[in-house]
Amino acid sequence: MLSYAEKIREIAGRLLASGAVNMVIGFRQGTIPMMNEPHFAKNPAEAAKLVWDSHCGINLANYLTDRKEKIGIVAKGCDSRNIVTHIIENKIKREQLVVIGVPCQGMVDKRKIALKCPGEITAVIETETQVTATGNGFSQSFDKKDVLQHNCSLCIHRNPVIHDELVAAPVEEQKGIDRYADVRAVEAMSPEQRWKYFEDLLSPCVRCYACRNACPLCYCPTCFVDESRPQWVGKGQDPSDVRTFHFLRAYHCAGRCTDCGSCERSCPVGINMRVFTKKLEKDCLDLFGWEAGLSLDVRPPLDVYRPSDPNDFIK
Amino acid sequence: MSDWEPKIAAFLCNWCSYGAADLAGVSRMEYPPNIRVIRIPCTGRMDPKFFLAALREGADGVWVSG
Amino acid sequence: MGIEPGRLQFSWISSAESTKFVEVVTQVTNAIRALGPNPDFTKKLAEVA
Repeated sequence: MLSYAEKIREIAGRLLASGAVNMVIGFRQGTIPMMNEPHFAKNPAEAAKLVWDSHCGINLANYLTDRKEKIGIVAKGCDSRNIVTHIIENKIKREQLVVIGVPCQGMVDKRKIALKCPGEITAVIETETQVTATGNGFSQSFDKKDVLQHNCSLCIHRNPVIHDELVAAPVEEQKGIDRYADVRAVEAMSPEQRWKYFEDLLSPCVRCYACRNACPLCYCPTCFVDESRPQWVGKGQDPSDVRTFHFLRAYHCAGRCTDCGSCERSCPVGINMRVFTKKLEKDCLDLFGWEAGLSLDVRPPLDVYRPSDPNDFIK
Repeated sequence: MSDWEPKIAAFLCNWCSYGAADLAGVSRMEYPPNIRVIRIPCTGRMDPKFFLAALREGADGVWVSG
Repeated sequence: MGIEPGRLQFSWISSAESTKFVEVVTQVTNAIRALGPNPDFTKKLAEVA
């Protein structure tokens, strides 16, 4: 996985030098450890800054919306599924893209590591299977698989679904994973318990909308939270407004969310809002056998009618 | 709380239930006065945000009818 | 969502079925009445001193 970076730089350099693309979107080293930032390389020299490690959790499909130029994009499994969703929703054309596929082994969760370290982490070194965090007076190693992002540990589409180049041989997909244990736990609750559970879950929310901004699905020119006439959701911290925001955001992702984890990763207070999107993901899978972003040829379930629709009323 | 009556926001499709409501009206039928009818051009116009907005503004229930 | 499922009701009525309309209105009203008021989700207005 660490050898990917060199290969990515090589491919990006080649694409930019030949003029096949105007820009390559990838990652560069962030200013603080475990926080890689998006990098937009517009010439071969800039392509040398591209990196790849276990901290590339941001979903780069987010940067494709309505772009007009030719773009090379580095894509993990989830990114590639969101690129497919973007193409299906006419937000970018397939011909504009050169997808540099990266078989992914999961991204590490910086919170899990920070929680286990006694102080501020100033440097992180990683090998194929381990990450070592060092700071003032401590140095701790973790097995990557113990500190993966929750969505990565449940991921069953690690390899890119579309790609023009591949930086390495596909990795083995995880099998026999119970992806929805947490959703079932919430489903089993009574309305009162659920009310309490969501209250606790959402109480730290400061309504910064980082989850919305990090999400590749949230590209509306005017988001419903910014509409003021009518105002669907108040601006303050009122619990009913916070709830309305989270519920509606999740509904807007129904049948489109790929559980890439960008929302949770970007949340400054660590709310697991993925329980909402995952519930809808599970419903889509149960009702329509649908998983978002797997194919360019199939329309999503919420915009087609099939005679085999599972609901009786519509027949 | 004994004189409490529920407030229900009723989202009615222009072509179906709104027509039925109209017909019920001209036929002078009696029905509970708890619903506040909101006509929508089609049930497809319904949006989760209408439901949440109605509850937020104090409705006790929401009824969507096509 | 932590909201009682019965607070949201769906039905399908043709424009010719005024009797069914009356029936369903009664039914919906009774169902919501049975659930009682909805204090949880209502936005509390700021209390004015």
